[in-house]
Amino acid sequence: MNIRNTIISAFAGTMMLASTASADITVVNPQKPGGGTTVWTEIIMKELEKHLGERINIRNIPGARDIPGINKFHNELRFDENTIVVTHGGNGVSFLQENVDYDYAEYDSIGLMNLNIIMGKVKGADMDKPKFAGTSGAVPEAFAIAMMICGPDKSLDEYIECFGENVTWVQGMSGGERRLAFKRGDLTGSRENPATYQKHIAPDENAELWFHHGLLDPATGKHHDDPNFPGAQFEIQFKERYGVEPSGEFYDAYVLVKSFRDGLQKAIWVNKGNPELRDRLVDAMNKMVNDPESVAAIEAKNGKYEWFIGERGNQMRDTLMTFITEDALRTLVRFNREALGLNSVLKENLFPAK
Amino acid sequence: MDAILQFLDGNSQYFLILMAGVAYGFFVGLIPVAGATTGLIAIYSFVTYFQDPYMLVVFTTAVVVTSSIGDSFCGIVMNIPGAGGAAATMVDGFPMSRRGEAARALSAAISTSWLNGLIWGLAVFLFLPWYTKIVLYFGTAEMFSFLIFAMTCVIFVSSKYWFRGLIALVLGVLVGRIGMDPQTAADRWTFGWEYLGAGVQIIPVMAGLLAFPELLSAYRMKAQKITLTNQVIRGQLIDGIKDTWKYKWDGLRGGLIGGFVGLVPGIGGNIADWFAYSQTVAVSKKNTDDGEIPVGKGNVRGVIGCEGANNAQKATSYVPTVLFGIPGAPFEVIVMGLLMYVGLELGTPSVLEDQRFFDVLLSSYLWALVIILPISYAFIKYAVYITSIPFKYYFWPILASLVWSSTQYTGYVDDYMMLAICMVLGLGMKYLKFSRVSFLIGFILSYRLETTYVQFTTFGYGWEELLFRPMPAVFISLTVVAAIWGLFFNKAKIDFV
Repeated sequence: MNIRNTIISAFAGTMMLASTASADITVVNPQKPGGGTTVWTEIIMKELEKHLGERINIRNIPGARDIPGINKFHNELRFDENTIVVTHGGNGVSFLQENVDYDYAEYDSIGLMNLNIIMGKVKGADMDKPKFAGTSGAVPEAFAIAMMICGPDKSLDEYIECFGENVTWVQGMSGGERRLAFKRGDLTGSRENPATYQKHIAPDENAELWFHHGLLDPATGKHHDDPNFPGAQFEIQFKERYGVEPSGEFYDAYVLVKSFRDGLQKAIWVNKGNPELRDRLVDAMNKMVNDPESVAAIEAKNGKYEWFIGERGNQMRDTLMTFITEDALRTLVRFNREALGLNSVLKENLFPAK
Repeated sequence: MDAILQFLDGNSQYFLILMAGVAYGFFVGLIPVAGATTGLIAIYSFVTYFQDPYMLVVFTTAVVVTSSIGDSFCGIVMNIPGAGGAAATMVDGFPMSRRGEAARALSAAISTSWLNGLIWGLAVFLFLPWYTKIVLYFGTAEMFSFLIFAMTCVIFVSSKYWFRGLIALVLGVLVGRIGMDPQTAADRWTFGWEYLGAGVQIIPVMAGLLAFPELLSAYRMKAQKITLTNQVIRGQLIDGIKDTWKYKWDGLRGGLIGGFVGLVPGIGGNIADWFAYSQTVAVSKKNTDDGEIPVGKGNVRGVIGCEGANNAQKATSYVPTVLFGIPGAPFEVIVMGLLMYVGLELGTPSVLEDQRFFDVLLSSYLWALVIILPISYAFIKYAVYITSIPFKYYFWPILASLVWSSTQYTGYVDDYMMLAICMVLGLGMKYLKFSRVSFLIGFILSYRLETTYVQFTTFGYGWEELLFRPMPAVFISLTVVAAIWGLFFNKAKIDFV
């Protein structure tokens, strides 16, 4: 039995040592092992290590809606000179409508990926009466669906009423349940990033493209069509259907929330005031995206997305901040609360100074 | 068949990886409350060493298979659940162990788990594509009615202190609802503690509520004065195999329940063993004139019934994971993440059309089963000696492993605080005889029940869906039968609180 005790003690000791082993850089990841952002982080950090010449330790700090890990970074860990953080699009949405501690304005971008979210639908389904899985991360889809169904020039009250009458917004579904429900036809619409769209919707003979949100150009502040899904951008589809471009306060709120989610789909940040680490990492990121081997490894697993590195990432963040207006935030929060049942909060501290 | 045989011939590296996976998985299974999920998480740091992606398939499959068999040891010998889905084993297993029948209980548990692993493994991997329709057929109404049925069945696995058991069940449901409200996405009952926003995690509940109070009371237990010679152990090992055959229907029924639970994503494997156990209790003798010990007090049928579900659930949870890329159980989330890391994205056409992937998966599954059986039987001989050693000698290593398992979530002080809370709650409940099993069942099922109910209502479904759709109608009918039986005819009560 001493052997057993020894083995258990040795194993426990090894695991403890392994988990606390020092690395040169620690990246805070706000998810559990196995999550989408966790896998992304592991893939990127593995490639980044090669060009950085330093070891990177991934520190998973999971929690509700992936917020606690980033809050922890903001409140404590960012002051460590070798700690950085990874955020995803859901964190961007939470930043707008929840009481979170973190603030992108206080970080420097190492690099970020600007993703597009693609909507699929069941072939032949009546998409004027769609059935869609409602989660807090699907707010941009709700705005787009409301405009697509209800048309232009409506007041917020009219959009809320129209959405409630026409959309079956099914709450309480995990990602897996949502995909199965879509395959079954219980849900008539679904949303995916381009990589998961190719995996779950494109091969499904009963499904087809509905629309997508487009890609944000940080230089112009405009969304443009995705060359992988040409002609299916929401704005193009809307104009084709109603003859006018989408506009107004409701549309501004849509642009705000989709930009914060998709524009910050995957992002790596370092605390401001740590230029030495920032420059080292930005340099390594630039080498990584110019290394065909690394790019091939990343694209094989994560899909092909444009990188915004260093100052370009900061430019993206700064562009997003310009979308924040008092009216857009108020519209976002009211629609969330009254149409989607979400307990969103109006963050007056985000209102631009007048 | 050729692929299975060639696995050993042409791939010496695969065989080494397989052996490493078998050893590691078995070892992980022995660690209290750790289980396959924790074991797989721990190998993330080493994933880059798997240059050939199929090696990782071999390794993860071996870990999954063997940890399910290894986790019987903890429950039977130490009265501590080996993993979330293997807690019911200890209810009858440990009393047998105290009676000097540890080898028989272990042999029965291993044989049943192994046999169901083989049956369901073959059924799954040989006929994988056939399951597509079954998985797709199981919608919100089916899930909701099944959860009602499962809840109704398992609440009758109650202690003789039924009123306190009911309160424990309600408490478990309430604790299970801590976290994010699925409708408003807001934190609920977190008392400002951000850590609770994602809900209370299962591992500290298992460790603190079930394992720690047993560990503490065992600390004061005197060692057994039972002489276990090699001949006695060998005799018990054979008895356990005979028991497996004698009570094969209990084991196969458990396998059927576990197989079904694994097949449908979202039910949660942690309920499978209790569900299977409840059915064994239901069909067992209540009054034993022939001196047979009732189920719940150390009857081998109690071990066989729940162990049948263990490996079967693991095998079938591969179905939605491989076919759709939708994890059928928590450990499959980790398997998917690991395999994605080496370029094997489950559920995609590239993997579904990859015959080598399926060959490696089936081969490693079967070879891991074949290899683990003699190892497990051989290990029984050493495991039973634990019963003759005072607990105080291995109290601290086990406590350390409980703490380690429970603090893998964030690794911060919050994990330790949550474990401490669960420990205090567990001690209080045990002392006051509030059924911790009822609490656990309420805790496990509450979130699933709530989210499924929310889906059910937001789809606009009503009682018509429950009564006039075929599968929900069957489950609701069974629920009524189970409730009537439980209220008026159930005499079986277990002492475990």
